[in-house]
Amino acid sequence: MSSPRRIVGLALIALILACAVLAPWLAPYDPLRSSVAFLSPPSSANWLGTDELGRDVLSRVIYGARTSLVIGFGAALVALLIGAPVGLIAGYTGGRVDMVSVVLIDLFVSLPGLVLALVITVMVGPSLQNLVLVLGFVMWPSVARLIRGQVLPIREATFVEAARAVGGSPAWIIGQHIWPNTMRVVAAQFAVTVSFAIFTSSSLSFLGLGIPPPTPDWGGMVRAGYDFLAINPLLSLGPGAAVGVTVLGFYLVGSTVE
Amino acid sequence: MLTIIVRRLLLAIPTMIALTALLFFTLTALLGSPAAVMLGQDASPDAIQALNARYGFDRPLYIQYFDWIASAARGDFGRSHTTQQSVASTILPCVPVTLELAAIAILLAALAAVFTNTLPAGRAILGPVVLGANLIGITVPNFMLGISLIFVFSVALGWLPSTGWTPWSSGLVEHVKHMILPVVTLSAYYFGVFSIVYRAELRDVEKRLFIQAARAKGISRSRVAFRHALPNAILPVITFVGLSMGQLTGGAVVTETLFSMPGTGRLLVSSIGSHDFPVMLAIAMMIVVGVVLMNLLADIAYTVANPQIRID
Repeated sequence: MSSPRRIVGLALIALILACAVLAPWLAPYDPLRSSVAFLSPPSSANWLGTDELGRDVLSRVIYGARTSLVIGFGAALVALLIGAPVGLIAGYTGGRVDMVSVVLIDLFVSLPGLVLALVITVMVGPSLQNLVLVLGFVMWPSVARLIRGQVLPIREATFVEAARAVGGSPAWIIGQHIWPNTMRVVAAQFAVTVSFAIFTSSSLSFLGLGIPPPTPDWGGMVRAGYDFLAINPLLSLGPGAAVGVTVLGFYLVGSTVE
Repeated sequence: MLTIIVRRLLLAIPTMIALTALLFFTLTALLGSPAAVMLGQDASPDAIQALNARYGFDRPLYIQYFDWIASAARGDFGRSHTTQQSVASTILPCVPVTLELAAIAILLAALAAVFTNTLPAGRAILGPVVLGANLIGITVPNFMLGISLIFVFSVALGWLPSTGWTPWSSGLVEHVKHMILPVVTLSAYYFGVFSIVYRAELRDVEKRLFIQAARAKGISRSRVAFRHALPNAILPVITFVGLSMGQLTGGAVVTETLFSMPGTGRLLVSSIGSHDFPVMLAIAMMIVVGVVLMNLLADIAYTVANPQIRID
């Protein structure tokens, strides 16, 4: 279904991807270079103005796309790598394995994700690699739950019964027959997971637990700009809008196949 | 019913013990001795040693943990490492602030989501607006929405205070003024979540025969929507209201921090920042209790709302 929602979503993702890939050509300045023009207002030279260290905000917003996309895709991948096997095995095996997994998944899902991420991040320390792992770890249960739900009806399908009848091992059946049939939903869930990862990681950096400076990072920029809201609101609202646009893009693409 | 409630509550106890144990051991393993944290980087080894002995941090970890659990069961959560106040007296004043914010925001979000999505009149006009608000709610992070609101209503228009919080005792008007922006900020997200859940259920309900029968009888569209469709589609919203309330017992972390509200969420952030274990552990435990209790309440409300369902 190629709905307008999906097209808008894909367009937004394309925009952010272009920013990330073409950052050196798109950004008017070096995102890390400070100047003496502290907190200068938006002008034709600095469209969004400069921050408290005299760095060009637009350039930092453009480069920030790299950080956000790496965290988003990385965390979604980690969530998939943990969640998919758990969901597939729990759903296909059933019985006690399934019961234990479901209890564990339900427990994790009902805990507030941001708080969980906050506590783990402070223990392992915020770095790009740690943030990817922590967010993936926080989000795997919802991936596992979704895949398990997909597996249950497929398990009962005739073609799976046939595969069992010809003597297929569980691993082979899961890999060859079950997994490919969950792909459509998994792909959609992947996009939603990316959007949640970017949402959560930007909240973490807003709370001061994001990528350490000076790497351009949207949540951190919003936090830093907040103090100067009355001087130049774009210091905060610029990177904040970038987060919103990115999260919206991935969400629109993922939520079309519900 | 009673046995189910008792069983659920009993299940909460091992969950709580497991989670706090996990937190206790990993925190200490990864962050090191609380004494070192309390005394700062320049502390001499002797001073750390003395403090360890005084507070019993030099005992085996599992004994410290059992000690903590035993005191916690009596309502004694120890003392904050940073302020030396008892943890209970640190957290308790924050609880009403968080509960008020969370309860108002969630109730408002649930009412708005159910009402706007049920309304049949002008669905063509209202529909896109509701959908737009819903998408903004779940994709624009709290801090971004909050800062935008602060910019418009405090900085530009000057109608409302930007941050801070005043207790009821210092005037109702001031209290409400400080609550408006945080409540709107927090409820936008939940409005989005509840709307999605409710609309999905509503779509299913509207396909059912009794709705068609009600329409065929000539009952007005809004009566069909509010009296026939709504009660049958509201159950998942109740579940999510319970789940969300449970998750917010630990505080609305971002909203409270942004608006400088003295709730548990901001306390959690500051205790994390200062590595204040006892406060962190107590709030973590509170969250688990809150999640379990609220889910239980939601399940009970579920059976009251729909007698066909009996949890077992």
